[in-house]
Amino acid sequence: MVTATTKGLSRAHEIYADRGRRMRELRKAGKKIIGYICLYPPIEIITAMGMVPFRIFGDMSEPITAADQVSTTVVCPFLRSIIDLGIKGKFDFLDGAVGAHTCDIGMTTIIAWRDYIKDAPFTHLIDVPHTDHAPAVDYFEGQINFFKKHIEELAGEKLAEDKLKKACELHNKQRKLVRDLYDLRKSDTPKLTSMENLEVMVSLFSLPVEEGNELLEEVIKDVKERSIKPSRKKARLMVWGPVFDNTSLYELIESAGADVVVDDTCVGTRAFWADVKAPYDLHALAQRYLVDIKCPRTYRDTQHQEIERDYDKDLDSRFNYIKKAVTDWHVNGVVLQSVKYCDTHGYEVPNLRHYLDTLGIPSIYIEHDYSERSLAPIKTRVEAFVETLG
Amino acid sequence: MSETATPAKTEQKRAINRLKSVYPLRNMVQQDYVTTLQASNEGKPTVWSMLNYWEGDLPLKAMGLNIVYPENYATLLAATGAAEPFLDASDSDGFPTHMCGYGRSTIGYAYRMMKENGGKIPPDAPLGGMAKPALLLGSGIICDARFKWFQSLARYFDAPEWCLEMPMMATYEGSEPELEDYQVKFLVKELKDFIAFLEKLFKQKMDWAKLEELIDLAVKIHETTYQISEARKAIPGPMHATDFWSSMPPSLFFAGDMKVALKCYQDMLAEVRERVNNKVSGINYPERYRLIFAELPPWHSLKFFDKLAEMGWNFVFESFGYHAPKPPDLSKYSDPCEKLARLSRNFMFNVFPEAKAEGIQNPIVETYLKIARGFKADGFFLHPLISCRAASCSLRTVQHWEQEKLDIPSLWVEGDIIDKRVFNPQEVLARAEAFEQTMDHYRKVRKSKGLDW
Repeated sequence: MVTATTKGLSRAHEIYADRGRRMRELRKAGKKIIGYICLYPPIEIITAMGMVPFRIFGDMSEPITAADQVSTTVVCPFLRSIIDLGIKGKFDFLDGAVGAHTCDIGMTTIIAWRDYIKDAPFTHLIDVPHTDHAPAVDYFEGQINFFKKHIEELAGEKLAEDKLKKACELHNKQRKLVRDLYDLRKSDTPKLTSMENLEVMVSLFSLPVEEGNELLEEVIKDVKERSIKPSRKKARLMVWGPVFDNTSLYELIESAGADVVVDDTCVGTRAFWADVKAPYDLHALAQRYLVDIKCPRTYRDTQHQEIERDYDKDLDSRFNYIKKAVTDWHVNGVVLQSVKYCDTHGYEVPNLRHYLDTLGIPSIYIEHDYSERSLAPIKTRVEAFVETLG
Repeated sequence: MSETATPAKTEQKRAINRLKSVYPLRNMVQQDYVTTLQASNEGKPTVWSMLNYWEGDLPLKAMGLNIVYPENYATLLAATGAAEPFLDASDSDGFPTHMCGYGRSTIGYAYRMMKENGGKIPPDAPLGGMAKPALLLGSGIICDARFKWFQSLARYFDAPEWCLEMPMMATYEGSEPELEDYQVKFLVKELKDFIAFLEKLFKQKMDWAKLEELIDLAVKIHETTYQISEARKAIPGPMHATDFWSSMPPSLFFAGDMKVALKCYQDMLAEVRERVNNKVSGINYPERYRLIFAELPPWHSLKFFDKLAEMGWNFVFESFGYHAPKPPDLSKYSDPCEKLARLSRNFMFNVFPEAKAEGIQNPIVETYLKIARGFKADGFFLHPLISCRAASCSLRTVQHWEQEKLDIPSLWVEGDIIDKRVFNPQEVLARAEAFEQTMDHYRKVRKSKGLDW
């Protein structure tokens, strides 16, 4: 176990434990705080308007009670948790909430927000097409433009091109720093645990981009200078799946004797791997969010217009970024985790496992209901899986 | 108690008073499976398609292609009690068990066809089964499963896939009038690409005149089914929900010959109007309560509605997502792709302004408020499904606002479209008795507030 917490990591730990604190301070100082759900609202626009984007997460330790009045139990418990916290007033520091049609329930979450959550009077729902066809990218650009107009009304001013460019550069810088941080876990004995890494990632979603960048620079410096010498673990794992914003799963895996060295989740690499490309306009944002983010919610039409279909080629086109990560981080096993009732990830599971089989990488699939207590039954399976890799 | 007609006398009294005009419509979808299979045996291609709210159906039909709808086939698997081995096959291939029952059963079908039967139809497949697809046509309309499930089917077949796009309906942002042309432009581009792809894949040209003719027929069919829905508001309700579910495929995805379907729906409209004029009910018992069913039915247990009919429960409306709305006026558009885009887009885009006027953000809620008022409902039968997010996620809010705005109570019954193990008819019947008292109570409350039912 890596210990000797450093200054940057210590700060990340504090922010992770109370994500709203800095937001409340900023709001008191006159900043507008705009919450957003999932990865698809273009946060560069929020930053460029002088507002602070805040990623809305649920809380795995808080039982869902209030949301039962407005939501059926057979839908994504992560999104139910968000509604639950909202009804309970836990997002009282938000001036707005932006959602996107990332999935069926992602969309209805923002609709329910409007009817049942009194905080955040400004709301906006962005339609995200299902495919990455060229007309879909153009359509999505139009959706981003519509969002821009709406948030301009809230700000009382137009979005300036130079401010959007600067915001894109700042967020790109953050993405580059995150990739640098992940690089530090390529070593045989990473000096940064997956729990610490997740705390940093969650902190980035809870700070203005400039402060997040400062935090990252601090953390990277601290980790590089860490004098501790962790021991080599039995396995080097990747964790794949939808949102996981709590360190408990990583603790469970690491306690089984494995290092989680990389992930493909929307609280990790998926959020930071793709940059916005120059000229930093709305089309570039559409391209980055719809095409370059690799979430199963998008039908990646890898053989668009082709009349001959090759399944293996399709899998390789969809998942070769995972192959690259497996190689670069020397991964020897993948934990596919999903929150229950997540259809977009659920349909992906057999196909991704098949692809990993062809790479000779063992995998395990685990499902949970986004509560800390639901992880306990998984422990034995994870331990057995790690044992087979040792 | 609602005004009712004397129950029809029949030799053997059936609880539900079926419309005669239902049967030819019901047979059309069954005949489609047989015809498609015969065509496949003659070497003609079969397209597997998701329900796509007409965007893809009409170009395929205009090219004379044979289409089957796995989503519909799954209801047959459930209704004939044949679903279980197909669900098991999906589970054994690693698909999570909480996913769409329609998806799981037809993924299981594909698995058994390709992995266990050497590409032949599984012997226990009802109605002869579905032939191997030459194209998998997914859709971005309504739910995530519609494209993810078809992407998964490519695991078993070497057929190409296509995912039809549709802007997200039924949201404040999606319904902004200033966005209409931009949405249509997107759909037209997608449709043109799709048709070009069909021409390349099937090596034949689109018959544009035929497509125009079919769009015209589609509008007429939807105008007729819309009038049937309007006529159903009468007291007693002249057409039971089970008749709608049996007869909807020629309107929902244009099963069969569309000219024949139009004639059948015109016959149905005439029969329903005749019942209205003569105060004939859709059940053969006095109509004591008028119920609305939301959203997807337990296909495996439709007989269960007989028991409720015997108690005087008339299901006067159901499953709004299966109902085509009043069609738009397409006469001012000349491009068939634009006509098609506007027809398909019409499915729910017109709902939101009314929802907003109610002060509610969820258009599904508004739709059901409007239906409840129009049909003078006494209660809602809400059926959240263990395996369908899209049809279940808004039901709590429907329950809340129906009670809040109209004092209409709901009976909450968990179940599934395919998996009968999660549905307990006996328990529901026991709860139904108590629910009658609730409906009686709120009937008084509504009247005390000046509502007329």
